[in-house]
Amino acid sequence: MRKLLFGSALLPLLWLMSGQTWADAAGGAEIFKTKDCNGCHYTEGPAKEKTIEDQLAKKGPELWYAGSKFQAQWLDAWLQDPQIIRLLEYNSLDQPNPGGHAKLAADEAAQVAAFLMTLTSDVVVAGKVKPKSNPKGKLIFKKKMPCSGCHQYEDRGKILGGKSGPSLVGAGTRLNPDWILAYLKNPAEFKPVKMMPVFAGLMKEKDMEKVAAHVATF
Amino acid sequence: MLKRIVLLILFSTVNLLGAGVVSAADGDQLYNFYCAQCHGQGGKGDGPNVTQDFATDPRNFTNADEMQKLSDADIKNVVLDGGPAVSKSALMPPWSKTISEADVVEITKTLRKFCNCEGPTG
Repeated sequence: MRKLLFGSALLPLLWLMSGQTWADAAGGAEIFKTKDCNGCHYTEGPAKEKTIEDQLAKKGPELWYAGSKFQAQWLDAWLQDPQIIRLLEYNSLDQPNPGGHAKLAADEAAQVAAFLMTLTSDVVVAGKVKPKSNPKGKLIFKKKMPCSGCHQYEDRGKILGGKSGPSLVGAGTRLNPDWILAYLKNPAEFKPVKMMPVFAGLMKEKDMEKVAAHVATF
Repeated sequence: MLKRIVLLILFSTVNLLGAGVVSAADGDQLYNFYCAQCHGQGGKGDGPNVTQDFATDPRNFTNADEMQKLSDADIKNVVLDGGPAVSKSALMPPWSKTISEADVVEITKTLRKFCNCEGPTG
């Protein structure tokens, strides 16, 4: 519950600076409930999944750390005009994602985005990663580790990569660079049961930072 | 003292039962969750990630001739340490921090069902 409220003491200040208000977030929480968004997305951390069955029972991604994962502007825009991020239907390996996520009007999207931005995880450390194309991060992403096998990405105007993971095309505007690093370092915090391998303990933290910085330029 | 020994034996037995009882279906479930995304749900190396630009051909587990050359230890090695550990593609991830050795044993049983082979003996 503590995390459902305001995980970061800095967040209210950031809100005021961005023109959003507590009322927006409260309204967004109400819209989220009224539209039954909880039917597919849970918003109270910590992560609940303990088994593969738990993961497969989910209808959509958990959102209890959405405020740490996403960028506010992207969330607002996406809620008004949802685009496919996962090429395959959630938890499926053979069904294409049919799309059709609920679309919100601009005022509702702003409120729901404000609500989702209040949902944060304490393990995401702000200011650790700056988006930066770098040879080491690129080499690890494309050659040394299997990232490109499961995630789409854009390379010199061409879309490459696999389909089972969320597409990373446009990740630079969608994801918080600090969350990318936190996810690589502490995946169990966010997704204890997932199809993506755990790289923590296999990669140096510096290399994870390079990969996160590289992905944040997509 | 005797009571302590009895309790210890009881505790160990319960632990062994709890840790060791894994149904054959678990291997299939583990395979479908972790491996099928590249190797395909039927084990033919044709998972949804194998697009035109996928840089290697994931192993076809139904190819009995090739699978027969691999021991269970070989399979465990490549699952835990990834393709580069056996001079294969880095697109085969190292799963050692994700999948337990006990679960790799179950996955291997599923792979053996695909090839209907046991691997080298002796």
